[in-house]
Amino acid sequence: MRSVQQAKLDKVMRPVGGAQGLPNEYYVDRDLFGSEKSAVFFRNWAALGFAKDVAEPGDAQPVDFLGQPLLIVHGRDGKTRVFQNTCRHRGMILVEEKTRLRGAIRCPYHSWCYDHDGALKTTPHVGGPGNNVHDDVDRSTLGLVEIRSHIWRDIIFVNLSGDAPAFDDYAADIKARWAEFEQPLYHSGSDSSIRLELDSNWKLAVENYCESYHLPWVHPGLNSYSRLEDHYHIEEPGHYSGQGTLVYRPMINESGDRFSDFAGLGEKWDAGAEYIALFPNVLLGVHRDHAFAIILQPVTHEKTVELVEIYYASEEIISKKWADMRAANTALWKTVFEEDIFVVEGMQKGRHGAKFDGGRFSPVMDSPTHLFHHWVASQFVDADEH
Amino acid sequence: MDRDDLDAALIAAHREENGRRIAELYLEAGELAEQAGDTEQACFYLVHAYVFALQEGMELASDLHARLKALGREI
Repeated sequence: MRSVQQAKLDKVMRPVGGAQGLPNEYYVDRDLFGSEKSAVFFRNWAALGFAKDVAEPGDAQPVDFLGQPLLIVHGRDGKTRVFQNTCRHRGMILVEEKTRLRGAIRCPYHSWCYDHDGALKTTPHVGGPGNNVHDDVDRSTLGLVEIRSHIWRDIIFVNLSGDAPAFDDYAADIKARWAEFEQPLYHSGSDSSIRLELDSNWKLAVENYCESYHLPWVHPGLNSYSRLEDHYHIEEPGHYSGQGTLVYRPMINESGDRFSDFAGLGEKWDAGAEYIALFPNVLLGVHRDHAFAIILQPVTHEKTVELVEIYYASEEIISKKWADMRAANTALWKTVFEEDIFVVEGMQKGRHGAKFDGGRFSPVMDSPTHLFHHWVASQFVDADEH
Repeated sequence: MDRDDLDAALIAAHREENGRRIAELYLEAGELAEQAGDTEQACFYLVHAYVFALQEGMELASDLHARLKALGREI
């Protein structure tokens, strides 16, 4: 017999014109948030952090990823890996704060030491005082548990279940769509970072991001040059959705200077820009002269941290000379993202209305949002079946 | 440095979280015990010196590894 929950999800998975949105409990129920961790985040490639934050060999950053203690390590061999941040001995947390490792990762409890590739290097006194050896302790089986990871566009993605398709297959469509932007990205530091805290379920931030329907109402400043009809939907079922604009205008300062463009872009990008939500928790934007990446970190079912990082096309643009213009660009985006806060928080409040049925979609304007709902519902159904 | 001075220096180094100094002092303690013919005590200190040398990425770590391995205390 089909469960009540599945019947509700069936309504979400109808064609957009007749579909309902995800029911309230997918936003306000703590237990469902628990199920969502494995169904939506751990089985897929989800964003954990930014490679720029572990830029140097030896950099180690602990991250609480939906309750999972993880550790990002930029190894001495130049490779960045993600481990479970848990000692294989007594389960102690290995690294509590961001640090620059000088040598081995030493557990602060009994000092078992691990190399940057996770190999267990020594087990002090394990065979008794002064003896690091015991036949029953096979170091080759006791390295740190490595989490499958992949870096793309400076974002560190992880697949906790270990059985998602290879990242390059998982993201093949968006990589192909934005192949022209597969170029080095330059980040200037804190003047290109924005951190927002939302009293909202993470999904509402995705939903708001991937449609243009709200732009004239929530971002009236855009109306002067970017009308609703200048936007188009971007839809790749099962992977991503978003919107594009045909009238992007690069920022120009009082001296007539503007940021340099990414090299070799086609005509489409002269006045084009695209904004895509790569499911589950990455929001990306590309323009001829800069790009940004947003990671949504679900803290609880009703709290989300939004980390925004802005990148430029050349090393020169991250120099001091361009600091004022970068600051202006960051301020511009901060205004836009802050304008969205009241709607994502307002939708969260609204979903406590017990008689709200998930809502209906505009068949014309809301199809990218529905595509995301459909994807989330599919993840729950798939997880249930497997 | 006599034993009391060494103990005091080790406590201070731990308090300062000075891993390099800790490694050097444990090595010194290990060598004192070795000179006194107390292999067990020497190995105890050399293990500590090795751990902190590993943590600090010191070249000393490979020497200590070799010494402990020769004594059957490392692999």
